[in-house]
Amino acid sequence: MTFTYTKLAGALSAIAILGVAGTVQADYPEESITYVIPFNPGGESDVTARFQEPILEEILGVSVNVTHRPGGGGAVAWSEFQNGAEPDGYEIIGVNIPHIIGQPIQRSDAGFETDNWDIITFFHSTPNALIVPADSPFETLDDLVEYARENPEAVTLGGSGTYSANHLDMLRFEQEADIDLTYIPFTGTGPLPAALEGGHVAGIFNYTMLGVQMEDRARVLAVASEERVPALPDAPTFKEQGYDIVGGAYRGVAAPKGTPDEVISVLEDAFAEANRQITEKQEPLGFVMEYITGDEIDEVIASLREAYTPILEAAD
Amino acid sequence: MDMLLQALASLLTFESFITVLVGVSAGLLIGSLPGLTATMALAVLLPFTFSMEALQGLIALGAVYMGAIYGGAFTAILINTPGTPSSIATTFDGYPMARQGRAYEALAAATIASVVGGLVGVAFLLVLAPPLARLAVAFGPAEMFWVAMLGLTLVASLSSDSLLKGLLGGCIGMLLSTIGVSPVGGETRFTFGFPPLQGGVELIVALIGLFVIPELLTMAAEGRGALSKEGGFGKSHVSILQVAKRIFTKPVNLIRSCLIGQLIAIIPGAGGNVTSLVAYNEARRFSKDPDSFGKGNVDGVVASESSNNVMVAGSMVPLLTLGIPGAPPDAIILGVLLLHGLRPGLDLFTETGVLTNGFILSMGLAALMLLPVGLIGGRLIHRVVIKTPYYFLMPCIAMVTILGTFALRNSLLDVGIMLILGSAGYFLRLIGIHAAPIVLGLILGGIAEQGYVQTMLAAVIDPIPWLRLVSNPLSKVLAGLVVIGAATALLPAWLERRGLLDKVSSKAGGDA
Amino acid sequence: MILRLNTDIAAGIVGLAFAAVLWLPRGEMGRLSIIFPRAVLVILVVIAVGLIVKGFIRPGSRRVVISGSLRRLLVVMTGFFVWWFAIGTLGFVVSTCVAIFLLTWYLARVDGPVSWRRLLQWVPIIGVLVGVFYLTFTQVLNVRLPTGLLL
Repeated sequence: MTFTYTKLAGALSAIAILGVAGTVQADYPEESITYVIPFNPGGESDVTARFQEPILEEILGVSVNVTHRPGGGGAVAWSEFQNGAEPDGYEIIGVNIPHIIGQPIQRSDAGFETDNWDIITFFHSTPNALIVPADSPFETLDDLVEYARENPEAVTLGGSGTYSANHLDMLRFEQEADIDLTYIPFTGTGPLPAALEGGHVAGIFNYTMLGVQMEDRARVLAVASEERVPALPDAPTFKEQGYDIVGGAYRGVAAPKGTPDEVISVLEDAFAEANRQITEKQEPLGFVMEYITGDEIDEVIASLREAYTPILEAAD
Repeated sequence: MDMLLQALASLLTFESFITVLVGVSAGLLIGSLPGLTATMALAVLLPFTFSMEALQGLIALGAVYMGAIYGGAFTAILINTPGTPSSIATTFDGYPMARQGRAYEALAAATIASVVGGLVGVAFLLVLAPPLARLAVAFGPAEMFWVAMLGLTLVASLSSDSLLKGLLGGCIGMLLSTIGVSPVGGETRFTFGFPPLQGGVELIVALIGLFVIPELLTMAAEGRGALSKEGGFGKSHVSILQVAKRIFTKPVNLIRSCLIGQLIAIIPGAGGNVTSLVAYNEARRFSKDPDSFGKGNVDGVVASESSNNVMVAGSMVPLLTLGIPGAPPDAIILGVLLLHGLRPGLDLFTETGVLTNGFILSMGLAALMLLPVGLIGGRLIHRVVIKTPYYFLMPCIAMVTILGTFALRNSLLDVGIMLILGSAGYFLRLIGIHAAPIVLGLILGGIAEQGYVQTMLAAVIDPIPWLRLVSNPLSKVLAGLVVIGAATALLPAWLERRGLLDKVSSKAGGDA
Repeated sequence: MILRLNTDIAAGIVGLAFAAVLWLPRGEMGRLSIIFPRAVLVILVVIAVGLIVKGFIRPGSRRVVISGSLRRLLVVMTGFFVWWFAIGTLGFVVSTCVAIFLLTWYLARVDGPVSWRRLLQWVPIIGVLVGVFYLTFTQVLNVRLPTGLLL
């Protein structure tokens, strides 16, 4: 009797566990999901979210509402999210590297921490690129380095934001090449083509997308990726030219800390599938699709934090 | 030319007409609600365009954009509330006109001016896009600094009674713009250790607060509505034709405002926020009767509304040719272009010329559509404002204001900032510091700061960095204009105080 | 209501106070971040001092006219802030219904006492109005309005 009893109990509890696990997975998601974009409408994060929205809705079977909470380069939304969002998987937020690494180091009152959430996935990255106008005297990266060595601070490079991915990797480039450049921050990517075209800066240190967009009017001297990006097959990487610089902006999504693993994995799969479906639209624009999940997330953050922290702390 | 005809043919379908009609109406509705901007209207529409064909999607976006910019004029005239920042200058004369029972005249003038402005913008875009684009890129950091300074000379004409108080307001506005993260340097400033303040004071939040809240408080204190009941449509004897005749028989104001609108529209980053103010200022400067401005001169409404609607198509010049968004809503249109694999550049006018020209022409269609939609919509909204008892109207406007402010950034804190600025604005107005200079400072502060600091950064190797501000030909011209602008603004006041004005004006008359 | 007040001096003091609020807690800020606000602050202080001096030498307007009832003004102003606070705690729909109802009642009383009948008539109108705006914003414009404790 005892034997059968325990067996029965075992079976029951097994069923129960399966059932519970099953219900968690089957139940989520039941209601609509809010997807917060911490930037203005029309930016890259927003446009990507708009692409993902219908696909996520189809996979998850609930509506996904993209809302915007711009301010402070993302910090306003992130601090609000870390302090107030419920860890139930019904509120997720877009996260960007290096913003989430840089801001807490650099600001005393950023209001959020780099690790205080469960990052679901990073779905794409945009490597940095050094772009000069088509009529620039710098034909190659070596030309620029040589000129800069003889004329410190004379080469002006525009980029998007201060201590942004652009700025940080430009500072790394200065260190690697042992030169002095002048970085001029602009608000966002929008004004950069004009600054380049009008000759207000010697070059721009921005993302690959701009290199693609300005293909016929500009020259990409180097791209900060491991391998050449599909949309710019002729642009060499920094690594090929002897500078160990791999970096750029990574975009992903996060759920509040303490969100159940099952929920995270449901979202992870949904975003991966969305990524596959929008690859053919985004890759030609210069995006690099990524499927960074689980432990890889920590590795990416750790390696970039290691690269950027000394620069940021030196700046303070 | 072939391409243009083809584009026109592709536009003359029932589907396109409906898209434009619905787009303009929806844009008008959103634009007329304070806080809901053209940018937001486009963002809301964006997902719907994904399922449309490229041309259809762009037509819808262009129509909504046109409608939203125009819609701002409604509330500006009827309740002294600029629905979008681009219609600030419309309030200066539109609201006094409405208070005098000439609301219909003001609305009709705004509508006609918007239609003309929209069409002129489209014409410029079709004919002059490439050369204008070259001019657009000439505006670098130093030039932007001078553009901001030029804008600040408007303070003189915006501060009706005391120049010093106007300047004080402008400084307060500029300081408000520095709250948050610094554009160059990336540090947080003036947040008092309160993380949500990193977002700073959003222009539209301040705009709504400073314009709407004092008006609502006055309504409550006086126990009256925004408009007196006598100003009904029935008693107004001015017909649309008379208004049109009045505008077209003296076309100088209209032409000047359209040209100003086009010039400023191509300056990236200045956008529609200042166009209408500059056009208004020039209309007043060249008017035979400058004192009548601000008291219900229809020319003020025409200047403001024609120039800001030129901006809709006008800001597409740098966008379509170079991929540079001239005004915030353009960023969304750029996104849509890229989504459909359309890369800004001259190819857009040759290879995919039918599509591009179709889009441009559709904006012209949208501008024409403003006429019927605007006149009917204007009549409806006007009737609602007149007929609703003030004790209903005031709380309802307050609700819409709160909703609009919240929706802008999904931020309850913004609502609080709006209320605080609005309440402070009421008392500041009492002591002679008006909302307009503060808002102007807020608009221009960021532009001036960025231009100045970027120039100084670029000039880090120069022996005298300041010289970099006037090193380019264009920046020299702009700096000269600032000096002239400031002088013409300050001199009359100074001479008047000296009692010399009569002599000068008679002398000027003799010279002419 | 008419207050006797030298508006030039008042405006100058407002300017100085605003400058002080921003200047005192500025802390350690990098050169690039402080360069512009510092310049504007200096100009602001100069203008404010100029206004105060002018206020003593050649004052402008010495009267401040508040048209209408000051009490109503202050009550409504306070009401707005209470409304704002209530949206965060109680939620948008409930607090807005109550706020509009109370404001309407308070303002309608200017013309004379309001009968119970009229008050009751307003309830459905206000309910529908708030409902329409709530649904438009949440469903069409995708704005998540605060729900607070109630709705």
